[in-house]
Amino acid sequence: MSVSHLIEQVDDYRWRIPRVKGSGMLTDVRVYASRDILKKVVTDRSLDQAANVACLPGIVGSSLAMPDIHQGYGFPIGGVAAVDCASGVVSPGGVGFDINCGVRLLGSSLSREEVRARLKDLVNQIFRDVPCGTGGTGYIKISQKELDDVLVDGARWMVRHGYGETNDCEYAEARGALLGADPDKVSPRAKERGRPQIGTLGSGNHFLEIQYVQRVDDEEAAKTFGLYQGQVVVLIHSGSRGLGHQVCTDFLRDMGPAMRKYGIELPDRQLACVPVTSREGQSYLAAMRGAANFAWANRQGMTHFVRQAFRRIFSNDVHLKVIYDVCHNIAKQERYEVAGKTQDVLVHRKGATRAFPPGHPEVTPSYQQVGQPVFIPGSMGTASWVLAGRSGSVDETFGTCCHGAGRLLSRTAAKKGRDLKRVIKDLEREGILIRSESKRGILEEVPQAYKDVDEVIEVVHNAGLATKVARLRPMGVIKG
Amino acid sequence: MNEYEILEHTADIGFRAWGPSPGELFRNAARAMMAIATEPEILSGLEERELETHGVDYPDLMVNWLSEVLYLFDTNQFAARDFRVDDIATDRLRATLIGEPREPERHPWELIIKAVTYHQLKVEQRNSRWQAEVFLDI
Repeated sequence: MSVSHLIEQVDDYRWRIPRVKGSGMLTDVRVYASRDILKKVVTDRSLDQAANVACLPGIVGSSLAMPDIHQGYGFPIGGVAAVDCASGVVSPGGVGFDINCGVRLLGSSLSREEVRARLKDLVNQIFRDVPCGTGGTGYIKISQKELDDVLVDGARWMVRHGYGETNDCEYAEARGALLGADPDKVSPRAKERGRPQIGTLGSGNHFLEIQYVQRVDDEEAAKTFGLYQGQVVVLIHSGSRGLGHQVCTDFLRDMGPAMRKYGIELPDRQLACVPVTSREGQSYLAAMRGAANFAWANRQGMTHFVRQAFRRIFSNDVHLKVIYDVCHNIAKQERYEVAGKTQDVLVHRKGATRAFPPGHPEVTPSYQQVGQPVFIPGSMGTASWVLAGRSGSVDETFGTCCHGAGRLLSRTAAKKGRDLKRVIKDLEREGILIRSESKRGILEEVPQAYKDVDEVIEVVHNAGLATKVARLRPMGVIKG
Repeated sequence: MNEYEILEHTADIGFRAWGPSPGELFRNAARAMMAIATEPEILSGLEERELETHGVDYPDLMVNWLSEVLYLFDTNQFAARDFRVDDIATDRLRATLIGEPREPERHPWELIIKAVTYHQLKVEQRNSRWQAEVFLDI
């Protein structure tokens, strides 16, 4: 359905599309955007997709759209939907193919000046040590049985087996492993795809960046997270690789027929869903949690190799602390007050990040005073942001804020008329060194292909979903 | 006559394929996907692999067929450069893949395809021609 013409302004950063009677929508759509961002959002079908999400049985509150929203498959990317755990549905499309695609930030003990002198060596070393997986496998070899253990224990398994430091998992959403994963619900095919790919980056918009803290906006929060101006940090953006992609493929295939059994009809097959409490729903969630745990293990494995690379180039004294690890493609059971009533909901975050405020019991103990860290990667030539969760997220968006800058141009449009050498030169002029497996990977991800990340951050900051902590600038980019 | 073309999508990629028959359409769709995934020209056509898949209708069959070809590539079992559809009905397909076992160092991904989606999926007959539109998550 087409709904962009129905949009109403609520305030400077909030917009609303009322429920259209007879359309199948069960609730309204709430959009977080500035007027400028909204003008770009309405150029694709993402708001129509958010209206389709409003048709999901058991949806609680509004169908939510974050300021980085863009057109996805079924769900828009930057879409959030909470459903009632007892009467609602779970939709694999509301999580996406890349289950627990997410971002991890490492804070180093080195300054920008120290790294700048050896940047090329460092970038080359990491490029060698962290394969993107286009032309081979990763360096972590695990057996079938060990993979099953990874699916249950996530990043913790990696740390136990030498790929990490003791307290790394303290600084990850769900401490690096969701409860309730069942390896038997993950198909042999998914395991076959994923097993050799653990510890690999992937391609598309995935990347590993060496960055520095350009500016601190919130001294107290930055200090609590262990960040300071001029410090070098590493941002890893990756997911569950072939394992997660196959889990989603498997369940989407089976949910089409299952939907008919449960009498569910929806405007887009990619939104396929089944009741949360059904056998199929529970199986999907158990498999999805396994894939999410695989993704945390994957980012933990890469953390290990990044540390090794830094130590090889600099010295064994170099320290890289995990600041935090957040996922932005996931469905999680959480508890909220909705219209004065406590309710258990399954929050689908499709290209959206959890952003719990100070004092929330799930925030890491040492971050309790300042809130959960949230990382928003921008495009490779611009900036990324560290935010901290704010109470507005719990009041309005089921503890959620945005996840990135949001794409603006298609891949073909991004490449059009661009010369690879020129793009690389332009980045070098900005002090950014890039290594990529493919020419295409660079051209399709040029900064111009994305919205302005700063504008997106302004919206979530001013809407009270999260607060600005620090702005990061890239120095070295490794892409698939 | 064109056998396929690449389609635009904000975040991902798609293709439109044509064929005079359902069998030729499914062949061209798989060729389109492999042209996005890798460089089919570098693959030899020395070996064949048989494959059978099912679906509830043509669109569902298309997703399952392409997902099979993708799975074989991603797990290094087989890198196909061409396809022969030996038998097709709305709910099942039997085909032969022509190519060679994949050696990832020699046959890298040009662009890693995560999955075949149902998004705006179309498989239909238009006049005397069959046409499909498929989007891939990358």
